[in-house]
Amino acid sequence: MRRILEVHGEEIPVWLASVGQFHVLHLGDREIPCALTTAPGKGAFTLDLNGTSIALRIAVGEEATFVHLDGRAYEIGRTDPSQPLGQADGGAPQDRMIAPMPGAVISVSVAAGDAVTEGQTLMVIESMKLETTITAPRDGVVSEVHFAPGDSFDGKVVLIGFEPLKDAS
Amino acid sequence: MSITRLLVANRGEIAARVVRTARAIGIKTAVLRHPAEVDAPAHAIADQVVTIDGPTPVSAYLDIGQIVQAARHIGADSVHPGYGFLAENAAFVKALDEAGIIFVGPTAEVIDLMGDKVRARNFVAERGFPVAPSAIEDDNPGDFVERARAVGYPLLIKPSAGGGGKGMRIVREDARLRAEIETARREGERYFGDGRLFVETYIENPRHIEVQVMGDGQGNVVHLWERECSIQRRFQKIIEETPSPALRPGQREEICEAAAGIARAVNYRGAGTVEFIYANDGRFYFLEMNTRLQVEHPVTEMVTGFDLVAEQLRIAAGEPLGLQQDDIHQTGHSIELRVCAEDADADFRPAIGNILLMDEPAGPGVRVDSGILEGGKVTTDFDPMLSKLIVHGRDRAEAIARARRAALDYIILGVTTNLGYLYAILEHPRFGFGDLSTGFLDEEADALKRAPDASSTDILLAATALSDARLVQAVESVPAIYRMMGGWRN
Repeated sequence: MRRILEVHGEEIPVWLASVGQFHVLHLGDREIPCALTTAPGKGAFTLDLNGTSIALRIAVGEEATFVHLDGRAYEIGRTDPSQPLGQADGGAPQDRMIAPMPGAVISVSVAAGDAVTEGQTLMVIESMKLETTITAPRDGVVSEVHFAPGDSFDGKVVLIGFEPLKDAS
Repeated sequence: MSITRLLVANRGEIAARVVRTARAIGIKTAVLRHPAEVDAPAHAIADQVVTIDGPTPVSAYLDIGQIVQAARHIGADSVHPGYGFLAENAAFVKALDEAGIIFVGPTAEVIDLMGDKVRARNFVAERGFPVAPSAIEDDNPGDFVERARAVGYPLLIKPSAGGGGKGMRIVREDARLRAEIETARREGERYFGDGRLFVETYIENPRHIEVQVMGDGQGNVVHLWERECSIQRRFQKIIEETPSPALRPGQREEICEAAAGIARAVNYRGAGTVEFIYANDGRFYFLEMNTRLQVEHPVTEMVTGFDLVAEQLRIAAGEPLGLQQDDIHQTGHSIELRVCAEDADADFRPAIGNILLMDEPAGPGVRVDSGILEGGKVTTDFDPMLSKLIVHGRDRAEAIARARRAALDYIILGVTTNLGYLYAILEHPRFGFGDLSTGFLDEEADALKRAPDASSTDILLAATALSDARLVQAVESVPAIYRMMGGWRN
């Protein structure tokens, strides 16, 4: 059973198998026997890894797992490769400007149908008192502008869409 | 006058902190809540929660008419503003006065005076307290250059209408003065539509030292010693402590007496803070006076043993100051860490998320003033500060040790916080020596960046895989003979 986990900014494919009471984590060529048992304390676990016992706190979120280890908190992204990826309507991710976090629109410089050049300002947004300018990632034509100045938006929503690139070949 | 029912016109950790004291002295409390807000500690401990509305949660907390109406509606005889929002808004104080409701803080006149930085500076200078040498172009534009030169070098040119560091020029030699004045003037015109300037002495690597004062508006003023708040990012404090490691004994009295003198000059009522810039050569200059309770007030409470909110409430009820200067001593050392939802490795970008797991540190000398609950959500609606971790020790070394331990034990999972960054600051040798300045975080940025610990990778991968219920269930539902095959099936 496979997952793609993102740790320290690196995507790592992981296989999990089980042998008796133990699990075996397959990392590339390496096989690591491991077991996780609950421990006293909120979200507390003991991880036995290669014969060493490690105390951890773990919280499992929707798309990421959060681990507190030796006084540091880590976020590990989880992807299940058996689940379909990408946008529901099939659009390529590079054709969409996605809001990095919730915020509000300060100004909009383009409208649907406008031709823009790479680096051109499309929109200025504000999230937690920080202004961010959204610029065109490539030359192209704006297909959709979803928000007007003053609107607020949630994280990970599409702010501006581009016409897909025509296949050059 | 007496206070029996208090509305706290604030939110987050400070609302809970004010409610705790009010409850302890038998005052009924009410707090506010915007429909977009999640459950917070204040909601759980206040006697009453009043819903306020507005297009955004922040706009609701700034809506004077609505908050005064809320206070009336519940029969509150008093309002505590906390810090931020309406805490230094003279119009709010006047509106409460008209409604016959006590504002827990100073008079509208004092708020107005101290809120105007140029007027406040002149007021303080005229009474003989130290302000940085300066020259204001408007006073006499004809001899501005000569007066600027007389301030001495290095000096800082600022647009009169400025803010946020725009248009500021540092001049270190006379030969550059005229050219820099012209550049600053052009920048002032471009940014603010106003080319008027002023100059003041530029203080290299200063410290930020402030003094807690308390007055009763009846002529009695005391100080509760200083706090050092030099550890700042983006001009905002993130670690504060008291006593300041910079001050020698005589100097400590001098700066604290100056602050009390300034408060006395305005017959100050309530809790206030006089902020100073402290230069390497030991000179200090008035910066501004904040006419409210500060975020960092707990460190003062830890070393003096006084509950500043209890004193505020007594004074607001019209009682004379219950403290004598000779009764106020600093015992031990206290440090406060501001725990913020932000990514210190990405230019302190605010972080959002759900608080999936929270476990607060405890132990001797450890206090947590928190505005969050497990299961809550951190959004962009408000300031990113989640809570404050305050420690007390017999001396600075013990306070640092306790702060380090508590930072490691403070568990917040589900949203990125600056706890690791705060720990790295506490561990830095310069912090240990007390060698601080407002430039510390910029100067030590590289040392404070913590490389990912590669040895943790396997642990994190295993913990994530084994806590993934769907993954484990899927593995265990495979017939035993195939389970071992794992990756080979690929």
